[in-house]
Amino acid sequence: MNTHEWALIAFTLLTQLSIGMLIATLTVRAFAGRKTNPERTAPISDLPIYVVVALMVLALIAALFHLGKITHVIGAVPNLATSWMSREVVAAVVFTALTVLLAFLIWRKIGTEFMRMIIGWITALMGLYLLLAMSLTYMLPAQPAWNTLATPVTFFTTSLLLGVLGTAAVLVFTHATVDSQIIKGIAVASIVLVGLELLTMPLYLAFLSTQGAAALRSLSMMIGEYGWALVLRLLLVFAGGGLLAAYLFKNASTAKQEKMSTTLAYSAFALALVGEVIGRFLFYASSFRIGV
Amino acid sequence: MAKQLAFYVDIAKCTGCKACQIACKDKNDLPMGIRWRRVFQYEGGEWIQKNGQMIPSSVYAYFVSAACMHCENPVCLQVCPAGAIHQREDGIVLIDEKKCIGCRYCSWACPYGAPQFNEDLGVMTKCNMCYDLVDQGEKPACVQACPYRAMDFGPLDELQAEHGTFNNPAPLPEPSITRPSVVYGPSNTTKVTGDTSGHMMNLEEL
Repeated sequence: MNTHEWALIAFTLLTQLSIGMLIATLTVRAFAGRKTNPERTAPISDLPIYVVVALMVLALIAALFHLGKITHVIGAVPNLATSWMSREVVAAVVFTALTVLLAFLIWRKIGTEFMRMIIGWITALMGLYLLLAMSLTYMLPAQPAWNTLATPVTFFTTSLLLGVLGTAAVLVFTHATVDSQIIKGIAVASIVLVGLELLTMPLYLAFLSTQGAAALRSLSMMIGEYGWALVLRLLLVFAGGGLLAAYLFKNASTAKQEKMSTTLAYSAFALALVGEVIGRFLFYASSFRIGV
Repeated sequence: MAKQLAFYVDIAKCTGCKACQIACKDKNDLPMGIRWRRVFQYEGGEWIQKNGQMIPSSVYAYFVSAACMHCENPVCLQVCPAGAIHQREDGIVLIDEKKCIGCRYCSWACPYGAPQFNEDLGVMTKCNMCYDLVDQGEKPACVQACPYRAMDFGPLDELQAEHGTFNNPAPLPEPSITRPSVVYGPSNTTKVTGDTSGHMMNLEEL
């Protein structure tokens, strides 16, 4: 594993975290403003939007370190006609630009909350397209470990899982009290997404066993040499996004548990993040190209 | 329209001397670690013991000289985000090193391992079929260097008419992915893609 792949781990995870956080935050904003004037409730979820921008800027900087010639970065754009990597790069730049616009409108309080939400959801749609482009970038016929439905499923679930937990962490950081309904919603989403990840993994490993020599080599590495990493990854995601989220759900409506909820939200995000970093490391480390 | 150009390699004649690989390195002044043409050694079979002696039974070994296949369906060209790879009318696939951004994506996509990263230049490089020689009516350096006359070069349809259409000796990958412009003449022990009876040898030389 070389530094170029670390750059891709950082780029893909930061981007996915960012997209997931935007979607979670917009959902929280819509939910918080459902019964009252949204202009009053919206500011509680301003900070996550600024965090989304910061994460995307970091993601784009990380991506530069993957290139042999950083000075030629603009050259990654031209082949939109056939290259999913070109589409991924353009989508990442457009998504970042839209998040900057959204953050600016929120910061300067330009326009109505309704208008900002429209722009927010357009940005989220671009984010979903970016996740799709990112998935298809890796789904190459010569890479059987990547060329499966597990790639988009993993990218989307990772994005949403880190997104909801990241949003919860930022919300409890900025506010002593967060609507217990919001915390409960985040906890349920997290548990469902962890369930999806845990379901995907055995199906993925079983699929690899049927896909020829290169895929078998990937499988062997995943359950052999890097078996410890696979187990650790699943345990961390289960502990963070599953167990702690369940505990968060249970304690969400208890007023005296506010401090505990803060610790729980931070811990859940941290555990899931480390689990996903290990998972992405495995993604790159265990793929083998077919042929010679 | 110009005809698709291709390489021909007679596996039955090839002894694995790697003169083609060295001629390629010399002609293109390739640095350490970059081999546009590689010679794969594939072997397998078993020996049996009879009356205290080891007797060869199904033992086999052969060599497959391979470079960029200048494919009909060049996936490297399709995935390159920079549009740095193009295909000439005669089918030769070329990397424009001025446009390449060194992202290595083409090396993930090519099942023949043709595009290779040049650390010094920060870009991908690969076999260009010695197009400068070809444009002067000559054959590529590897073909000219083969001491056994095991290699040839010319329009794909003419090579196929003369030698057949075999293009998937083991350990090369399934040709349906890229449709390689290549013809191999098999030896009587040559296995086909997907064979599990043998394995590649001397990997450190590849």
